[in-house]
Amino acid sequence: MKSLKAFTFIALLAFVFILSACSSDSEAGGEGDGEGENASEDTVKLTMGSWRTEDKESYQKVIDKFQEENPNIEVEFKPSKNTEYNTILNTALKSGEGPDIIHLRPYAPGIELADNGYLEPLDDLEGLDKFPESSLAASKGSDGKQYGVPLNISTTQIFYNKKIFEELNLEEPKTWEEFMQINKTLKEEGYTPISLGTKEGWLLSLAHGMIGPAHYGANEFVDNITAGETSFTSDKFVNSIKAMDELKPYLPKNYEGLGMEDIRTMFFTGDSAMFPMGSWEIEVLREMNPDLELDFFPMPSAVGKEPTITTWVDGSYAINANSEHKEAAKKFLQFMTTEEFGKMFTEEFKMISAIPGIESEDQLVNDLGKAADENSTPYLFLVHFSGGNPSTKTTIETELQGMYLGERTPEQVAEAVQKNAESWYEPLQK
Amino acid sequence: MQLATDSAKEVKKQKKRNWKRWSIHLFPIPALLIYGLFVVYPLFAALTYSFFDWNGMVRGDFVGLKNFKDLFTLEPFSGYFWNAFGHNILYFVLQMIFQNGLAFALAYIIFKKIRGAEFLKISYFLPRLLSVIVVGFLWKLILNPNYGALNVLLEKIGLGHLQEAWLGDPDTALIAIILVNSWYGLGFGVLIFLAGFQSIPKELMEAGKLDGATGLAMVRRILIPLMIPSIMIMTVLTFIQSFEAFELVYAMQGSQGEPYHSTDTLAVYFYRLAFGGSTGGSTTAVGLGSALAVVLFLFISIFTGLYLKYMQKKQVDM
Repeated sequence: MKSLKAFTFIALLAFVFILSACSSDSEAGGEGDGEGENASEDTVKLTMGSWRTEDKESYQKVIDKFQEENPNIEVEFKPSKNTEYNTILNTALKSGEGPDIIHLRPYAPGIELADNGYLEPLDDLEGLDKFPESSLAASKGSDGKQYGVPLNISTTQIFYNKKIFEELNLEEPKTWEEFMQINKTLKEEGYTPISLGTKEGWLLSLAHGMIGPAHYGANEFVDNITAGETSFTSDKFVNSIKAMDELKPYLPKNYEGLGMEDIRTMFFTGDSAMFPMGSWEIEVLREMNPDLELDFFPMPSAVGKEPTITTWVDGSYAINANSEHKEAAKKFLQFMTTEEFGKMFTEEFKMISAIPGIESEDQLVNDLGKAADENSTPYLFLVHFSGGNPSTKTTIETELQGMYLGERTPEQVAEAVQKNAESWYEPLQK
Repeated sequence: MQLATDSAKEVKKQKKRNWKRWSIHLFPIPALLIYGLFVVYPLFAALTYSFFDWNGMVRGDFVGLKNFKDLFTLEPFSGYFWNAFGHNILYFVLQMIFQNGLAFALAYIIFKKIRGAEFLKISYFLPRLLSVIVVGFLWKLILNPNYGALNVLLEKIGLGHLQEAWLGDPDTALIAIILVNSWYGLGFGVLIFLAGFQSIPKELMEAGKLDGATGLAMVRRILIPLMIPSIMIMTVLTFIQSFEAFELVYAMQGSQGEPYHSTDTLAVYFYRLAFGGSTGGSTTAVGLGSALAVVLFLFISIFTGLYLKYMQKKQVDM
């Protein structure tokens, strides 16, 4: 009995402690805010969230440039770890906090934030009109308003080792048959033709994003499927999965156990000749092996169309709806639409700026940007089908993994993808 | 007069004793606060979350037990649930055999004071000093199909045909992870069992010897019954740990339970549901995730409780 009383007492005490801790917290917060407002007459301090921890120095240079023109606005770049970013950001936003300027994941996850009211609409922001509609779509809310300024375009294509190609007298393929012939030759000569592993699912949707369009006929199919006029069980799409299956003999030995680091290593050490990968790897590959003679070719079509580069917007910048300095944040976003920023971005980050017409001094990046301008097709599953739970993108990753392990046929993969898409994508619901 | 001061002293003493007794109760407060904030509060938060419909991160309407129903009946969620549940059971069974069985044998050998017992005691415990994440990364390298130590070794000793993509093949991936976990937990098991052996009264064993018990009979008739408390502790700990298995799976295979959901456990599945996949792009299902967390909590606590009760009764019977 006595111990029960003691326990009640302690529990009560603990409760009071927690309460007092909470209330004093909010008081302190209130005072802090007041100070912030007073200080805002002189300088405004903005925080900027992102998942690009590796770009901290480059961002600092961009910020310094901005502050030359806007000495009253201080910007602090505060990135968090790539794989933790979404969780950290979501939790902060939910409790009414988070950075003033938000690096937005492209398409569904970013748009989800906009739809939930965490972002400030940007429709009156000058400079947005110079972006093509396809880039703006990466951060357009379901209400049709614009919530983000597109930052960079990512592309996927086949990188290849020039030295190996020269040694075997191979040329960039223009048709699917030529591409398969190259695979055969490389294998006969003892090279691993394609550096691709199936241990990490995202590698598979990425590879399909590039190889798929060659078989389903690129943008025509994309238009049809997004309008609900065809389905994933159609021959065109099934063929794109079958093509992935046909590549099996040209993948590395034990491909089912290989992840990103393994296949990257195989490529830059010259074990394998081709690497289906995103543009962001250019810098990494060069750093790992400065002697690597790196080049790329667009994916040749199997149905008589032009070779394509797969593109998407990789990130946008948005304003936190709960920010206290929205005007200052808008100024920074405005700066991000200028050519001055675009030039700095391509030079510092070695990526393709989302601002049209910006040339890079890096030949490879420049060529890639041009090829993407000429004939691009969207990364279908990221751009249009990354919604749903589990998302259609995750579904195709898992199902392709199953196919490479011999547990699924291409037809079954297509069926599972269709079933998942029907569960949430309205145009496909009947 | 003398009596009065005496009684006053007595009262003072009594008061002092009372305060002493009271003050003892103050010491757990910081711990209770932390425990309340980081364990009890989230527990109830998860319970409330599980009764609501969630639209991404935003709480929607109260839906009662719908999330629980969906978890068990709505595809693909129910399929993933039972798949992961089966893996947790396999985790428990194999951990009991490889980790605890081996630990028991090793502890007995050390207890018997064979040569080098001291060295063994330390070396079994060494893996435990590493962080789980480091262990996961280390074994990921060892098991790498192309340049990992295991496959290279197999090649060198002429068993190249046994080479496998250990972590990429659904048939071997989960077992590989469980074996790594057993390797990691072995030292802890040895420690617990060794302590158990050492607490067995010498007289009992001597009496057994006088009665002619030797070798196996000694182990079966005297050592094992007296080791029940240690075995009980290890079983419960292994059970809880098996059903909470997350870090090592996450470190070695990521949050999708790859390849092809063959290494999915309930905790990994929970993480994926509640916080989204680590490779980006997946939306979150806070309601379903919370429901899963509640189910997991109830399952572990009910089974642990029943088991402890059963074993205590058995112990009393003996």
